Amino acid sequence: MASSASPALDPASLRERLDHLARHAGLHQWDLGAGCSTDTSVQVDRGEAKQMKGAQRSSITVRVWNGAGLVGITSTSDLSDAGLERALAGAHAASAFGNADDTPAFSSLATAPLQPLDQPLHPPQHILDLLGTLKEAERDLLSRHAAIGTVPYNGLAQRSSERIYLNSEGACRHQQLTTASLYLYARAEETGRKPRSGGAVRLAYGVDALDIAGCIDEAANRTIAHLDYAPITTGRYTCVFTPEAFLDLIGAFSGMFNARAVLDGVSLSSRESLGESLAVPFLSIHDNGLHPANIGASSFDGEGTPTQRLTLLEGGVLRHFLHSEATARRFGVDPTGHAGLGAKVAVGPHWFEIGPPPGGASGASGLDHRTGVGGGTDGAQGLVVIDSLSALHAGVKSSQGSFSLPFDGWWIRGGERRSIEAATVAGDIRDVLRSLIGFEGEAKVTPDGLCPLVWVDGLSITGEA
Amino acid sequence: MAADLADPAWQSRLEPLLAGGTAAGANLVEVFVERTDHLGALAEQDTITSVTPGFGVGAGIRVFLDGRDGFVSTNDLSAAGLQLALDQALGMLGLRRGDYDTPQFQGLPALRDFAVAKADWLSRCPELAEVANRLLEGTDRLQRHGQHLQARRANYARDWQDVLVAASDGTFARDLRLHQSLGMSVLAADGQHRASLGRRYGTSARPDDLREWDAEASAQDITSSCATMLYADYVEAGQYPVVLANRFGGVIFHEACGHLLETTQVERGTTPFADSLGEPIAHAAVTAIDEGLSDGAFGSLSMDDEGMEPQRTVLIENGVLRRFLSDRAGELRTGHPRTGSGRRQSHAFAAASRMRNTFIAAGPHRPEHLIASVDTGLYCKSMGGGSVGPTGQFNFAVEEGFMIENGQLGRPVKGATLIGEAREVMPRISMCANDLELAAGFCGSVSGSIYVTVGQPHIKVDSITVGGR
Repeated sequence: MASSASPALDPASLRERLDHLARHAGLHQWDLGAGCSTDTSVQVDRGEAKQMKGAQRSSITVRVWNGAGLVGITSTSDLSDAGLERALAGAHAASAFGNADDTPAFSSLATAPLQPLDQPLHPPQHILDLLGTLKEAERDLLSRHAAIGTVPYNGLAQRSSERIYLNSEGACRHQQLTTASLYLYARAEETGRKPRSGGAVRLAYGVDALDIAGCIDEAANRTIAHLDYAPITTGRYTCVFTPEAFLDLIGAFSGMFNARAVLDGVSLSSRESLGESLAVPFLSIHDNGLHPANIGASSFDGEGTPTQRLTLLEGGVLRHFLHSEATARRFGVDPTGHAGLGAKVAVGPHWFEIGPPPGGASGASGLDHRTGVGGGTDGAQGLVVIDSLSALHAGVKSSQGSFSLPFDGWWIRGGERRSIEAATVAGDIRDVLRSLIGFEGEAKVTPDGLCPLVWVDGLSITGEA
Repeated sequence: MAADLADPAWQSRLEPLLAGGTAAGANLVEVFVERTDHLGALAEQDTITSVTPGFGVGAGIRVFLDGRDGFVSTNDLSAAGLQLALDQALGMLGLRRGDYDTPQFQGLPALRDFAVAKADWLSRCPELAEVANRLLEGTDRLQRHGQHLQARRANYARDWQDVLVAASDGTFARDLRLHQSLGMSVLAADGQHRASLGRRYGTSARPDDLREWDAEASAQDITSSCATMLYADYVEAGQYPVVLANRFGGVIFHEACGHLLETTQVERGTTPFADSLGEPIAHAAVTAIDEGLSDGAFGSLSMDDEGMEPQRTVLIENGVLRRFLSDRAGELRTGHPRTGSGRRQSHAFAAASRMRNTFIAAGPHRPEHLIASVDTGLYCKSMGGGSVGPTGQFNFAVEEGFMIENGQLGRPVKGATLIGEAREVMPRISMCANDLELAAGFCGSVSGSIYVTVGQPHIKVDSITVGGR
């Protein structure tokens, strides 16, 4: 596949076409979000190309306000004039069913200055070069241990993309981006034993910037570390979450920080929760889509509001909610840059920073999961390291606070580490936040955020022993 | 180019692509073209809060060469756009138009048009105003029957898809698909007690589905279950015999075993059953079937996404593995014959072997006999979602559970997760009842999110790990 140049969206042309079509339809207020991308990706299977994929995608979501001030939207992948005209007509028709009690407006910050992001644009590589790179990575990973027989889930992908936000009052946001990703998920099996697996992911702005060696090392180490497994006795354990696992858990319950969920009555938080202590005093959580390590960060949200660093929990106290324009208006604050684009606008986090507050307490000190020392753990029972959580879509009840999730991890007793054969961890996120013992080590950059190892007291572990 | 895929001009648009691709050296070229029309609506409490119409066009071009394949998707259905996509797919395999000039392709045969009697489906579906009224009727019934309700939701999705598949092996087929689904959910709260619960209903090929929906019965079912679960205690973790209710209880077979019988898993080496054809892999009480034929079922098809008519595929017969689900690539790479199971979410995905309507067949027992056979165990009345990992380990959440004590249903319990491995659990399904029912669901996997049906009668699993507190 020939290397493709970045796709082209022309904001001026789109504005002109929409203006013309909207005037023709008698619509005076509109906005739109548009995106296009060119993707290439490869997968391999034991030295052979398994699948090579390419995609050119384009999409647009048009939102209009009718004469009564109600909002309707329509989305389409057809960016022809006929497609845009039909989208406008569809949005106009849908606006008759707009919610008069919760009508979005243009963000007051849709023309505010954006913080520049350092996102170098990398030229795409030829897909056959991607294939060669991934074959080599697979070969390397397979050579790390005799038990590693396949890498059943793998992929090397690159994307060139553009996003636009425009509105009829002159707002114009435009962002170009290139990204690349590598994932390697190995499967290992020893005679007479159950198959085990482990993996790793890396993101960068281009394939040439990917930490491929690090990804191979991590996938190999994780997989090999799980070969020597044993069942764990069901009970309550002190647990140490890896950064990836804890970020997954917080992400699954991010509704507690979400103003949309609060207004909809499905959040664990309420308006009155602001200022309340929800966690131990040494836990702070920020959402920072602008962090330099957040590959693929957006400088603006679906409504054109600039992305910003927002304090959610500070010293355990809930300080702010994530907002769209409409939720911010209801709370009497500014939008925070966490909105999508819709008739009912979704709100969501970007990238978490989790750890102790700067200069503040950080909980118990001297924690070392490798020896099982610290946090008042019972040496005989040991502690459980939760390496990665699975099936969050099924095992998390976000509006109830409860979770019951399968995980890969280790049981550490007397300084010895054994992979856990199969187990689930269960609890309530509100209890988790109040049961943190402390943090171990420096915060680690992951695709979902920044977080150190997190020690939590007394979680229920169900094993097969 | 006319957007209507019934336009005969599409044949002359597609034939040069197939001819050009095969002349360049490809073993096979396949083009999938689609038009879609979507309507989504959400009612919360007593207000329509979101209406989300959408429509789209796109094509996916797949080229095979010696067991490998290249796939390119595009929203550009112009001749130039399709040609570019073909060239890119050829380039992935080191092929280029013009390098060879040997005509390999003899032209497409007459169109097999499965869409003939379906042209009016979209226009027969309810208009937005009718959709809104029915959703609000649903949330109103929830309010009438529910207690301590903090949130009431009803949502509707209608997906219409016009599909054309052409391939250089002579496949040339068109279909219209219509899927409608309706979900209702509630969140109840009373002091520290909280419960959230939902149900989803879905059909294919039934334009009047929403009109025929029994909002009253749905609301009673959901609010009754929610009231039961609001004050339920967490289940105590452990190993239990488990009785799984019919309908969506079938998700256990879908996750625990069904995925492992797709040739995509055979190709990856991630199924323990790859070499088990003809061998017992389950208890003799278990016969399992996957088919795309049940009238109106969510996973039914007139043709799969590779233009093949679906079959009734007996996967397991009295415990013995009989067949894998296979698509074009699966047949090519594993030798298992195609079963009309090549499915994809949209043009943006290459088809893969996927389930359709998958169920465990009815057995001889009455449901109460299964419960009576358990001293201490868990009854799973309704299930949440689940998943299966690369080592065959599955998990799924129990949405509504009851302890079984001395052969009788006891107190409700929440927070249960069933975990296990197919090889270990399938032989433990020791009893199947005579009350087979199906339930609609969505399945996410390598070729995206697709409509499926799961199903089973009440079944008993002799022992399974129940995660809890």
